[in-house]
Amino acid sequence: MTPKRVVVVGGGTGGTILANKMVSLLRSETSEGKAEVHLFADSTEHVFSPGNLDIAFRGMVPASFRRREAALLNRRVVLHETAVNRIDLMNRTILYDSKVLNYDYLVLATGSVARPDVIEGLKEASHNFHTGQEDARKTWEALSRFSKGKLVVLTNIPHKCPPSPVEAVFLVEELMRERGLRDKVEIYYATPYTRAYPAPAIADVVEPLMEKRGIRLYNMFNTDYVDTKLRKVYSIEGEELEFDMLITVPPHRGADIVFRSEIGDAEGWIPTDRETMRYSNSDDVYVVGDATNIPISKSGVVAHLEAIVAAENITSDYFGTGKVYCYTGRINCPLELGGNRAVFVSATYEKPPTRQKPSEMKYLMKRTFASIYWEMLKGRLDPLFDLYFGKPYRVRVVEH
Amino acid sequence: MRRLVDARGSYCPGPLTELIKTYRNAELGDEIELLATDPAAKSDVSAWAKKSGNELVELKDEQGYFKIVVKVVRKGR
Repeated sequence: MTPKRVVVVGGGTGGTILANKMVSLLRSETSEGKAEVHLFADSTEHVFSPGNLDIAFRGMVPASFRRREAALLNRRVVLHETAVNRIDLMNRTILYDSKVLNYDYLVLATGSVARPDVIEGLKEASHNFHTGQEDARKTWEALSRFSKGKLVVLTNIPHKCPPSPVEAVFLVEELMRERGLRDKVEIYYATPYTRAYPAPAIADVVEPLMEKRGIRLYNMFNTDYVDTKLRKVYSIEGEELEFDMLITVPPHRGADIVFRSEIGDAEGWIPTDRETMRYSNSDDVYVVGDATNIPISKSGVVAHLEAIVAAENITSDYFGTGKVYCYTGRINCPLELGGNRAVFVSATYEKPPTRQKPSEMKYLMKRTFASIYWEMLKGRLDPLFDLYFGKPYRVRVVEH
Repeated sequence: MRRLVDARGSYCPGPLTELIKTYRNAELGDEIELLATDPAAKSDVSAWAKKSGNELVELKDEQGYFKIVVKVVRKGR
């Protein structure tokens, strides 16, 4: 009997959690050789992306935020440390290294890519911490040399981790103060939104703090282009900002494999049902994490919860239980505000984020998370999360 | 051309992100129809359309959501 095969493309947060969850849910099937779970990762290393903030703005060592992908996976997951050349949904196959692998269920966890190159002048003029650990390290080096002038933190959309640009500007401000340079450095925060943070309840906390720390806010500023000679950034709304140092969160796009396989929209986002995580109307293809076109945060917590939902739905379909798991849209993103304080941006598809007081406890929770992330990928913390937050899905039963 | 953007259920980063994503890929003369449940969407989109020099064509309360239509009459360089 040919085993049923679940193939996961992408070895980031969503793909890794999903593969581990899948072998756990199909434990008896995989041990009897009736099912296989394969994961394709185009890197041998797994990077904890939020660590890029610590590398860029605290000078922390990149190696402490990465692990070997193989060490994070259940031994029953078949790991392919290679790039996928093409995904063929029509023939239900994955093409890689001149080989073909058929699937019964496919999960696309291909992530997003920071692309400063899509805006004229942005790549040449800016420092980035979303484009990888090495660029985050270079940002730290440049900040270490910077001693006076205009420093602009510029946000472009869409991007992963909505809190990250606000966190960046608070950490930069703190760094300049600690170095005794605050009176020599003007700090600007430019954002496409109408306020400092898209959710009003969180902006109500962020904006007074920015004012208190002398961070000048430019809202409704969507980058049109950057003049690298004049060192000015221009917005499509008709404003300009001069800079001596430009730190940007670049616009993101879907992964190359999405474009190559022609399975996404013009920016490479894959059409996904926001509740079931199914690709379009398909019943054998699922999408999780940054790769989807769902208008929700591109963040680790969303990838995590969507992976659980997709794994449950695949299992339900596999055993024909008739249960459909529907993601509630829960998000829970920590936002660091400098001064050892943080808030958590929490919402669902039905409830917007609510106002909260910044606290040291939330800051400590965020800092602790970096060390428990690796265990979380293995699914060992899910019972605790379920106890604290509840399940990230609702279940409906479809009549046969 | 009318481009439909369904941002219902989006609170963070919110409907304005979806509108601007679509705006960047739109042509002059296109209309963007945004559906949203976020109460902040009405004032956000109105403020952005005014600042960017684009035209707010329609702003309507539907059952359980808002429908906002913006006509693209100005684009960047």
